[in-house]
Amino acid sequence: MSFLQPLLLAALPLIALPILIHLINQRRYQTIRWAAMMFILAANRMSRGYAKLRQWLILLFRTLAIAGLIFAVARPLASGWLGLTAGGKADTTIIIFDRSPSMRQQSPGTVNSKLETGRQQLVRALSMFGSTRWILIENTTNQPRELESPDALTKLSVTEPSSASADVPTMLQAARDYIEANKSGRTEIWICSDIRQNDWNAESGRWATLRDSFLEFNQGVRFHLLAYPDLAANNVAVRVTDVRRLQTSDSAELLVSLQLTREGVVDEEKQGIPLSFEIEGARSEFTVEMTGSKFDLKDHRLPLERTHERGWAKVSIPADSNAADNEFYFVFDKPTPRVAAIVTDEPQAARPLQLAAQISPDPHQRSSAEILTRDQLPQIDWETLSLLMWQGPLPDADTAKLVQEFVDRGGQVMFFPPRVVSSDDFLGVKWGDWSEKSDGVPIETWRPDQDLLANTQSGAALPVGQLQVRNFCTIEGETTPIASLKGGTPLLARVTTNRGGVYFCGTTVGAGDSSIATDGVVLYVMVQRALNSGAAMLGNARQLMVGDVGHDQAVSWQKLAGPPEALSTEYAFQGGVYQADAKLVALNRTVAEDQAPVLDDVRLTELFKGLDFARVDDQAGNLSALIQEIWRVFLGLMMLALILEAALCLPRITPNPTHSTMSAVAVGFNDNTVGSEAADRPASTSKA
Amino acid sequence: MTPDRRSRSFLDPQVLSRLAAVPLLSRRPMQGNVSGRHQSPHRGASVEFAEYRKYVPGDDLRRLDWRAYGRSDRFYVKEFEADTNLRCCLVVDTSGSMDFGSTGVTKLEYARKLAGAIAYLAVQQGDAVGVSCVAKGIVKHLPPKRNPAHLMTAFDILEQAQPQDETHLASVLHELAETIRQRALIIVLSDFFIEPAELRSCFQHLRFRKHDVVTFHLLDPQELAFTFKRPMRFIDMEGGPAVFAEPNEIADRYHKALQKYLTDFKQVVLESAIDYHRISIDENYEQVLMRFLVGRT
Repeated sequence: MSFLQPLLLAALPLIALPILIHLINQRRYQTIRWAAMMFILAANRMSRGYAKLRQWLILLFRTLAIAGLIFAVARPLASGWLGLTAGGKADTTIIIFDRSPSMRQQSPGTVNSKLETGRQQLVRALSMFGSTRWILIENTTNQPRELESPDALTKLSVTEPSSASADVPTMLQAARDYIEANKSGRTEIWICSDIRQNDWNAESGRWATLRDSFLEFNQGVRFHLLAYPDLAANNVAVRVTDVRRLQTSDSAELLVSLQLTREGVVDEEKQGIPLSFEIEGARSEFTVEMTGSKFDLKDHRLPLERTHERGWAKVSIPADSNAADNEFYFVFDKPTPRVAAIVTDEPQAARPLQLAAQISPDPHQRSSAEILTRDQLPQIDWETLSLLMWQGPLPDADTAKLVQEFVDRGGQVMFFPPRVVSSDDFLGVKWGDWSEKSDGVPIETWRPDQDLLANTQSGAALPVGQLQVRNFCTIEGETTPIASLKGGTPLLARVTTNRGGVYFCGTTVGAGDSSIATDGVVLYVMVQRALNSGAAMLGNARQLMVGDVGHDQAVSWQKLAGPPEALSTEYAFQGGVYQADAKLVALNRTVAEDQAPVLDDVRLTELFKGLDFARVDDQAGNLSALIQEIWRVFLGLMMLALILEAALCLPRITPNPTHSTMSAVAVGFNDNTVGSEAADRPASTSKA
Repeated sequence: MTPDRRSRSFLDPQVLSRLAAVPLLSRRPMQGNVSGRHQSPHRGASVEFAEYRKYVPGDDLRRLDWRAYGRSDRFYVKEFEADTNLRCCLVVDTSGSMDFGSTGVTKLEYARKLAGAIAYLAVQQGDAVGVSCVAKGIVKHLPPKRNPAHLMTAFDILEQAQPQDETHLASVLHELAETIRQRALIIVLSDFFIEPAELRSCFQHLRFRKHDVVTFHLLDPQELAFTFKRPMRFIDMEGGPAVFAEPNEIADRYHKALQKYLTDFKQVVLESAIDYHRISIDENYEQVLMRFLVGRT
């Protein structure tokens, strides 16, 4: 049990007061010389067991009454999930608040979402506890923000729903940094989250570091998790996967591909889902029949004015348990020319790359690829470039700076190893030594779920396993492997960047080094996907996810569509369509938000292993407070104890013993001839 | 008879003068040695006709009823009741418990008043009076005599009686039953704080010896009410162990035990056919004695 005023429990020894009074009272006896001892002795012998029990019960009830009073003033709480709050109020209370789209989920029959419920629960719970400082860390900025009181949680816009996924380890890291920087005293960290795996990133190596660093704090850090793990019963999410504007001789149309995913599917029953398309205010509707958990609609045609070359649109589905994934914004424009540049010292060897880049899969899409030498770099128009393929020593100095700027704008870069390896690096990654395997080494593992080697939209895997690599160069530095050779050596790896994509391919497309060019499907898909990403990032109509754009960049945007309550400071974290200079930006939630499993209990417990951690599961729309003060119960118990004590102390309701005894005396007087007249007095002896 | 000239604290002349109007009578025939006011088991020369009896040789011819002879031609002797005097033995309990009194008078003082008055009334009407002070045993014993000087001695004994020791009333009564050979009126004044069952045999013993037994059961109002508020340490007045008790706790059971005792005692006196008077010592002793005397007329 928890108490709001645990220090008052120090008064618990007062429960011995009745015993002390009893003992003192016994010392205050009066002495009398008494004749009728036989009745006192008899009274002591009679019902001694009950009398003793009664006395013990009276003492017990008096003790309970005092205990009840002390417990009541210590303000006990009904729920034990907070753990004991002994030690009084915390110095700092840090609230880690998950406002990701999945937190907008509602339970059946309720109005409030997980986010709203959690916010209210936190306000109610935290208001009961004192704290010197209140700090909020929410998942968009991940920065500590001081609050005046817990009530501010319901007033601040930064606790409203957002389209940004959460990164709980980063938020905890921010909390840790805050505690360290401010030298906080005893700290309580309250986490409100729906514990989705994508938000918690439980496999990240950062957790171990975080655990250790929290354990190092001497002042004690206590974690409270208010979890909303319930999944929606039948929630459908809509996501646009591709948008193309198609121009014909006399008209234009928009080809929209989208995907519907459904959570909590219990059967394979068909479900008709009306799709509502809105192109800058013009609405149209189309109903699809969905079976199972996933549905793909390919190239749905939406007619456009021939002159309508550029614009934005939105697709939405009817309201269900989570409103955050019921709509998706997208923008369209004339197809942006896809421009690739291949920088190499061996132009002939780079020919397959040029072919893969300049052959467009769509006849209406113009693609071009140019082979350059390092000396010709100044000729590149970086503003129109989508993909840079670089075979040779890694760029150095000014060249590296140019490439870096290109990446920061969202450009894609693919590096291929030079024949002669240097010690130069790019973003901390450099080439290692060459290895030669004359028999060829197959690619054993690759990531089929995302990035360049992901499966096709139909779900078919790319023939990556058929490739053979004879000569390869190791990749040194911090990268995320996308494909690895047999034996575990990474062949294709991605470097973590803020925006654009930087890939290192450990072999060349030369026939002597690998079969990438000869079995050209994989190469073609890789290059086209990289081109696509680059064009999407650099074109005038950009399809971005929340998190792709920095907070500072989005401040100057103009909102064209999106949640009306979104503030300009929140544009980077709210789904919608924005005007950024000459560009149109459609911002949407990340893919992981559509169907993210919940972290299992065991794994969650492991994350906080060794830490002072308490968890409670709540439900969206829950109106009852998580913690309730139950001093009234103890006050009631105290009064009950007092009533019982009084009842035991009351004399029994019997005829007045004094009266009855004296009556007996009176009877004796009236009966004074008893024994003589009645039994013995002979009538003949009467002299009356 | 010479009236008492000495001042006795337990005697009130006015009360005595008022009580003197009512005779002290026995309910059983007494065997006195002089003529008195009490019935005798023998035939005598009183004016009270008793019966006719057939003449047998040796009878005094003067007692023949010639009228009966004239009517029936048979000899009958006319017999009359004999009147004799009374032996009154006052048995006063002087055990420690008799020293208790919450109303300004102890039970012994009250017993002294009753005994003194009865002794005076008995001697005044020509009866013999004796006094026995008993506690653990017979502390003092004055055999019954009828002269006024003897009354003074009895008063002295009553006056000098001091409460002490514990009560062995049962054994004492047995002893008195054996000691007092002639029929007598035995008046026991005590609080009788012993088990009633123990008294049954001694009462029956006294009755077997043809004694007319009267008991005055003296109780203090506080013993009856038992209204204490604070914790009390009760010290036994007869030397038993002291008892600490919370009066509120034991009052019920105390009254229950007292009630049972009184009921049992009453049952014993009923079975033993003795005269029983339960008295609260805050009562006027004159009324008690008046009730006693009137009840025996």
